[in-house]
Amino acid sequence: MARWGMLIDLNRCVGCYACMLACKQEHFLPPDVFWGRVLIGETGKYPVVHKEVYPVLCNHCEEAACVDVCPTGATSKREDGVVEIDYDKCVGCRYCLIACPYQQRTFYVGEKKEYFPHQGLTEIEIIGKQLYPFQDRTVIKCNFCAERIDAGIQRGLKPGIDREATPACVNACPSKARYFGDLEDPTSEVSRLINEKKGFQLHPEFGTEPSVYYITR
Amino acid sequence: MKPYEWMTRYTPQHEWIEKKGIFMPLAFYFGSLGGGLYLVSLYFSSLLGMVIAWLVVGVFKGGSHLIDLGRPFRSWRIILRPQTSWISRGLILVILFLGFVPIQLFLFYFFPGTIWETVVKVLAGIAAFGTCVYPGFTLNYVNAIPLWNSAILPLVFIACGFLGGFALLLLIGMLGANVDLAMVEFGSMVFLIITALIIVVFTSSVSYLGPSGKKALKDLLQGRASLAFWVGVVLIGIIMPFTIAFLGYVNVYDSKVILFFALVGEIICGLSLTYVILRAGAYSPLIPNNAYED
Repeated sequence: MARWGMLIDLNRCVGCYACMLACKQEHFLPPDVFWGRVLIGETGKYPVVHKEVYPVLCNHCEEAACVDVCPTGATSKREDGVVEIDYDKCVGCRYCLIACPYQQRTFYVGEKKEYFPHQGLTEIEIIGKQLYPFQDRTVIKCNFCAERIDAGIQRGLKPGIDREATPACVNACPSKARYFGDLEDPTSEVSRLINEKKGFQLHPEFGTEPSVYYITR
Repeated sequence: MKPYEWMTRYTPQHEWIEKKGIFMPLAFYFGSLGGGLYLVSLYFSSLLGMVIAWLVVGVFKGGSHLIDLGRPFRSWRIILRPQTSWISRGLILVILFLGFVPIQLFLFYFFPGTIWETVVKVLAGIAAFGTCVYPGFTLNYVNAIPLWNSAILPLVFIACGFLGGFALLLLIGMLGANVDLAMVEFGSMVFLIITALIIVVFTSSVSYLGPSGKKALKDLLQGRASLAFWVGVVLIGIIMPFTIAFLGYVNVYDSKVILFFALVGEIICGLSLTYVILRAGAYSPLIPNNAYED
């Protein structure tokens, strides 16, 4: 069975936020909700300072803390490693949010929030609510575009290679900084680059084994 | 905060302390208080104390959790994952406590000293202890927040629960219930000292948890949780009750009103400590070696 993972090449990332916006567009995310973010920080000390750009998203951890702590089983890990949430089971206790070292989950409050306040929902927002019926006062997060992966595989496509089966953030990246593929397959581009360029994970000390890797200088 | 600033510095947890999340420290503390009061009341055979302990857990703790939950009508689902989730285990312990205590009270009142009363007493006692200590394990399990990922945290909740339990039982005794006041007052003083020692050990152990631990300690002593810590925990919760108890011991005063303030202070101590621990919890930044870390 495949285990889907992502590799982000920090040398290539230009910090354009295309991934962040593509994600919002793909999932019709409401205002103030981000499933992917581009973080900007600095390393070093004056005068030798580097600007660091880190795109982050749910790490779909192999040993996901959110899955362990969920008291209802609403958060679960699929066989292909994608960590998903069943909104019908979520009670909104937010223990998963507390336990996530990467803080990539959102407690969704405000079902009636609209992009243009007091002007009602736009047609696009109404379609979005039908396609992605998030439930008020439950937790939501990145799902690695599982619906694209599943639909693509059904059509015989390969995630990470065929665009229709690949997460929106990977497709949108203009500098090709993101790679998606099977971490269990040593011949996949993701696995090869992780091995060759010493890919690292964020906060490995927490033992969560994230499926999102980074490579840098 | 802009999206690109998210988790670039130490980020305080806010889900269980802000907005409706403020009910979480209340729920955790009421659990410890109810469990502690029940066990202390059991030891001193105070029927009223046990009834109040049941009410504290059932009404105040349960109510606080239900207010905090996003979808309270689905709360029954919480019992489904005791194999991995401490919240699930906690709810089961609370349900057992709420179930066993009325049976124990019935047997205690109508069939005292029978084998069944003893059996149910033991079971209710175990459930009460679990209710008292599980918030500590719930927080302790979160290794993403170094302040909470301390083995001492369950002890903190036990100490707070018993300290509050002794204080409440003494209040109940002062209001006329049949309780050995001198023994309860002595127990209250012992647990005040134990709590103070555990707080010292807990805070000093946090500084050994690396940079994030030092940051958490700074928040605790000087940062956003410092007012509640110094005023609620140290001044009102420990120094005031200890001073009043000491003055009472050397016969400087003999007033129930002053003692009342000491007991209220002990309850405030536990509540403030729970609040402070939740308030000071913070996550490490996501960008390695970020210059903005402080």
